[in-house]
Amino acid sequence: MLIDIKDLYKIYNEGKESEVRALDGVSLQIDRGEFVSIIGQSGSGKSTLMNILGCLDIPTYGDYHLDGTDITELSDRQLAHIRNKQIGFIFQGYNLIPALSARENVELPLIYQGIGLDKRHERSEAALERVAMFERANHRPSEMSGGQQQRVAIARAIATHPNIIMADEPTGALDSKTGRHVLEILHSLHDDGTTIILITHDNGIAATAERIVRLADGKIIADGTREEVGL
Amino acid sequence: MNISQAVKMAAKSISSNKGRSFLTMLGIIIGLAAVIILVSYAEGQNLAMKAYYESMGTNTLSVSAYNWMDSSNNVGQQLYDYCLGMKEIQGITPNGYVGRDVTISYGAKTLARNRNYGGGMVVVGGGGMSVSYGGGSDDHYPQIRLGNDKYGLCNDYKIAKGREFSYLEIQNMSQVCILGSDTAEYLFSFADPIDKIISVNGLPFRVIGVYQSKAAGINLGNSEDSYWMSESIKRNDQLLLLPSSMTRYFNNNESITDYTVKVKDSDSITKVVTDLNGFLSNIVNTNYGGYYVDNPQQWQDSQNEAAALQQRFLGGIAAISLLVGGIGIMNIMLVTVTERTREIGIRKAIGAERRSIITQFLIEAAMICGIGGILGIAVGYIGTMVVTKLSFGLVLMPGSAITVAAFAISVALGIIFGLYPAIKASALQPVEALRAD
Repeated sequence: MLIDIKDLYKIYNEGKESEVRALDGVSLQIDRGEFVSIIGQSGSGKSTLMNILGCLDIPTYGDYHLDGTDITELSDRQLAHIRNKQIGFIFQGYNLIPALSARENVELPLIYQGIGLDKRHERSEAALERVAMFERANHRPSEMSGGQQQRVAIARAIATHPNIIMADEPTGALDSKTGRHVLEILHSLHDDGTTIILITHDNGIAATAERIVRLADGKIIADGTREEVGL
Repeated sequence: MNISQAVKMAAKSISSNKGRSFLTMLGIIIGLAAVIILVSYAEGQNLAMKAYYESMGTNTLSVSAYNWMDSSNNVGQQLYDYCLGMKEIQGITPNGYVGRDVTISYGAKTLARNRNYGGGMVVVGGGGMSVSYGGGSDDHYPQIRLGNDKYGLCNDYKIAKGREFSYLEIQNMSQVCILGSDTAEYLFSFADPIDKIISVNGLPFRVIGVYQSKAAGINLGNSEDSYWMSESIKRNDQLLLLPSSMTRYFNNNESITDYTVKVKDSDSITKVVTDLNGFLSNIVNTNYGGYYVDNPQQWQDSQNEAAALQQRFLGGIAAISLLVGGIGIMNIMLVTVTERTREIGIRKAIGAERRSIITQFLIEAAMICGIGGILGIAVGYIGTMVVTKLSFGLVLMPGSAITVAAFAISVALGIIFGLYPAIKASALQPVEALRAD
């Protein structure tokens, strides 16, 4: 089992009148190589779940084991290593660093891994090739369209060869054609054995996954195939 | 991530945020330049004043005492004897003037002082032609003084060649003389003046010593402010010193009324002034004479006080400039906090350790402030030169201590306020940092 969470809570302003239970006792297991869509309406807790799964945030209560490691026990530094080596992120807003070119953005996680220049170039070129963005390697984010920026963000996510790709509304800011293209890339990564966790509010996009988890009010209300969750 | 990577990243970040980087630097440049220029200006003025007072001698008193119509009461001799008995006094010399026209010559070279020209001067050329100057730079107008074996000691002259007068030479009215450096150079050029015979109003005098220059190495520039001080210092070198006993010949046997007293240390000056006043009040009958004891130290002290006040004032303005510059740096650094917070969030999300982020921002802030600091020093030095040209005429270089201190302060400010947002943001959970926009 790659991901194993039990009774996970994320509570903001706990004990106060304004208390919000973004995650309210979530348990979920994901195996290596799965393609899982997490769906739900805005405010259902799906982004919070992804942030915790991606070690970008810590739960208020609950257990989280990633590849057998208890994440809640890890130091800030160890979490950084996990984000760097195990997980690739794709965000709705791309989150590229504006001052850096496409190639430099893709190489950034490799720099933090301490990989040498030649090897870095090789890996960033391969990653940019894969998303058909090699031609724009020296362009800055401001010189690219949204779809192109998202493809660079995907290249950055895959450059480190992570076990898991976590994509939070990766097509949310894109037109449907570009969105489909991004989705195709995710599927092809899945075909290569990468575990994909896709967060979306779009049922059509979610339906392309083999497993769908539906969240509402911080709880899992359905988990299964397309048919089982009624898409 | 290694240091060279961090340096590259910092350089990249600076060059891609030129406007922000420049504004941060501007605060440092203005602050540093202001400190350097203002402090240099104040120090330059102090330097000029100090040089001027030092040329007059340190720990010296000018004493004047005379009795008319009472030739039996030799005030000068009594004063002299009294001073010899005081342990606080290192020496006393008459400081007599020659009250008539004087012509000094050696070979074809002639120096002349004509009393009738008042403050002006006359240089009589080799051919006997009178050439009059209105006070040009090659003013060799001789300053003829009558002194004793302690003249050099009391007036802070040092012997460059030869020796001082001996006690016997004073007693015996020996026809010997000591030259100031300018007088020696004018009369002898590069030749050795020692044991040469010069003529003073036709009377032969043997040169036994030459004093070192007091003006050498002192450059107060040529502005109006410093001109009179420069000229006053230069006049010290235009000396012709004759034995005090020569007053009998040059001043019709009038006794010398002016004396210079050298006190051992500055702490004793007040006591010596009091004692001398007490002594002179007893021996001088003020109905027929007078006396005064002048303490240049007093003038210097009050001048120093004024200079210190001015320096504090200018230093205060400079400190305010540095503070305003510092606030500018702080402001710019803090304003970028949200932009940088998001960037830090991205970096953390893709695996940057907190340490890598802080290292990068530290290097970035240090580079901006270092470059700004160096530019600030350069602007400060250029500014000092411009101020030098415009106002005071002094060739000044800012003190290295104040430069280093101002540099350290502005760089520290930049680093602290550049690093502060980075330290704060890097402590956040990545998701919180990513939420900033």
